[in-house]
Amino acid sequence: MKRKTNPESSASGAKKRRREEEDEEVGCSHAGIEDETISEDQCRLLQDDLTFSDTSVALRMMRAQLPRIDQASVPPFILQSQLYSSVNDRTQVDRELECLRREKVVRVFKLNTGQDDHAIIFLDDYLKQVDRIVKRMEEKKQNDLDIFKWFKEHVLDSKLEPSIGHHELFSLLSLGGKVKDAHITLLINAGLLTRQLVDPDMYWFTIPSIGKLWKGLLQGRNELLSMLKRKRHKEMFLAELEKKRLRYSPLDMRFHIRDLIGSGHLKTVQTTSGLIVRISRD
Amino acid sequence: MWEAIKHRETGQIRSNSFANRFKSRRILSLQLSNRKDFVSPHRGSVNSLQVDLTEGRYLLSGASDGSAAVFDVQRATEYEASGLIAKHKCIFTVDKQHENGHKYAITSAIWYPIDTGLFVTGSYDHYVKVWDTNTSQAVVDFKMPGKVYRTAMSSLAMSHTLIAAGTEDVQVRLCDIASGAFSHTLSGHRDGVMSVEWSTSSEWILYTGGCDGAIRFWDIRRAGCFRVLDQSLTQLGVRPPILKQKAVSIKVSAAKSSLGGQNRLKTLQSKNTGSQIVKGSSSAKASVEKSRQKRLHPGMLSTLDRATAHYGVVTGLKATNNGMYLLSAGSDSRIRLWDIESGRNTLLNFETGRIQTNKAIQLDTSDDPALVFVPCMKTVKACDMWSGRATLMLRGHFESVNSCCFNSSDQELYTSGADRQILVWSPGGSVEGEMMQDEVAEDKDNWSD
Repeated sequence: MKRKTNPESSASGAKKRRREEEDEEVGCSHAGIEDETISEDQCRLLQDDLTFSDTSVALRMMRAQLPRIDQASVPPFILQSQLYSSVNDRTQVDRELECLRREKVVRVFKLNTGQDDHAIIFLDDYLKQVDRIVKRMEEKKQNDLDIFKWFKEHVLDSKLEPSIGHHELFSLLSLGGKVKDAHITLLINAGLLTRQLVDPDMYWFTIPSIGKLWKGLLQGRNELLSMLKRKRHKEMFLAELEKKRLRYSPLDMRFHIRDLIGSGHLKTVQTTSGLIVRISRD
Repeated sequence: MWEAIKHRETGQIRSNSFANRFKSRRILSLQLSNRKDFVSPHRGSVNSLQVDLTEGRYLLSGASDGSAAVFDVQRATEYEASGLIAKHKCIFTVDKQHENGHKYAITSAIWYPIDTGLFVTGSYDHYVKVWDTNTSQAVVDFKMPGKVYRTAMSSLAMSHTLIAAGTEDVQVRLCDIASGAFSHTLSGHRDGVMSVEWSTSSEWILYTGGCDGAIRFWDIRRAGCFRVLDQSLTQLGVRPPILKQKAVSIKVSAAKSSLGGQNRLKTLQSKNTGSQIVKGSSSAKASVEKSRQKRLHPGMLSTLDRATAHYGVVTGLKATNNGMYLLSAGSDSRIRLWDIESGRNTLLNFETGRIQTNKAIQLDTSDDPALVFVPCMKTVKACDMWSGRATLMLRGHFESVNSCCFNSSDQELYTSGADRQILVWSPGGSVEGEMMQDEVAEDKDNWSD
């Protein structure tokens, strides 16, 4: 499967459309081989599809669809609940994600939302983001930037889990050189590590500058759920729902719909006039 | 069905598979029973259910109003609606009015595994009491340092009669009925212990799940736990993979060394010296750590292991009957299946939705169509154990469900919840039902103006 072009490099709309058509071609060929039951009227563009046949196909599709919010400069991420809603078998998703993680194609981060949220980012995007942070810090004339190199070489390479203990972090960074506490503060300030309330001794890897999107994620979820709860029968057509825009979230509607379906708050029902999205009452 | 009987007669299928075929079909058709009902005397949410292990006849339930009750599952106390509905009233109950009864909620009520002459209850009033069933008297009392969350006794035990009690204290205490005292305590958890379960393959092994999210395996003959389950140690599949041959790795390293030219060797050497210098400092650190570790008893080394099995409290544990797998439910709304032998997460994802987070829940498993019965808020979901898909969704309770108990001899499921009810789920579509339908069909033609 060919690698998709970097979304950062294609800024113009025309290029994005071309890339999406490229995606659609490759995706349709996959769909053609694996799913023979696609009928004529259901053969929409693969990018408009809600379910995919394979985890890696789903990941690449969703990464291509994430809108670019240039001022936030966050690498494109996909939530694990979105993967659950996109592929039929959850166990298969978990296992394939584990394989991809071990092969160092993607990295999984635990988001501090209070629920079991995990964000998946392709490793290349993440490394580019780290490089961008280093460059920004150089411009601000910060010294001691070797710590980022050691971080990339030793820590990111060997530790594939979303969290790391204090001693292990120290010992892995020391493989590069002498480490002081000030260095770890630098890493936390850059937004690469954080601590969560669960355990005082563990550092968690984070996506840098995720704050605005994270807040948008939480508020967007609440807004979408309340929009559906206000309806009389607590349901809406999917086509109609996708056209609406959320006021409090910079992320698009499809992102939130997939996320809520995967985490079980919403469910889709196939009817004669299309898919209906309903609040699940369990 | 008649085909299956004919095959059995002619010997094409064996008697075991014949019986199992019927049992699986019955289990997959579980629905709220319209023939059987338990009249629950409890005035609080029912926290624990257990059918006795010797006969499978008596059901013991413990509730939040401090009452424990015993029901006869097979014989009804009275019949209603001209013999169609069997009502099972409790045989006896011990509650707050009893002179030695518990003062606060009973969280766990279990039968003595050898016979039904004794049962053990654990409660929020810090006591674990052992009761004599025939006289309804409390025989032994054990005072715990905190609220008791769960008690468990091993069903395989031949040489000990220990009750393992998990409380809000960090230590798990083992109480001995024979001597009336504590035999020993197991330390290692960093927060209270919410679920305790004995192994189904060895009488000495105990699994505990704590409020810190860790699951620890203890051998009670040794000090300290011998394994802490870590959710990031995974295996792709329900059995661990066969180890690759060592010859392959030797070949790879030989190839690498033959490839190295002069430059490569130099860089390798410089890297080695660099790492050696670093190793000097890190070895200093390592020795500091080792001396710190040396101060601890070797059995206590496991307290330094902070691996978590769930991102929250471990609310329920269940070992499968074949002793190979352990199911754990956590307050991060996940059910995980662990391979006991290798101690790894099998990455099975059970489609359960949200699970109750503040209280312990009781899971149960059935063997033949390997199902896990999970209480998810107001419903009970029966998920297939090897694929994780939800096959049955049992809706009947008005409030959240706390515990499920599966009676494999009758293929019935008993569930209880915060709505103070104990519901029976039995296989639908019985033979008598079919016969009744035939009679009604005949009568339809027998009419006149």
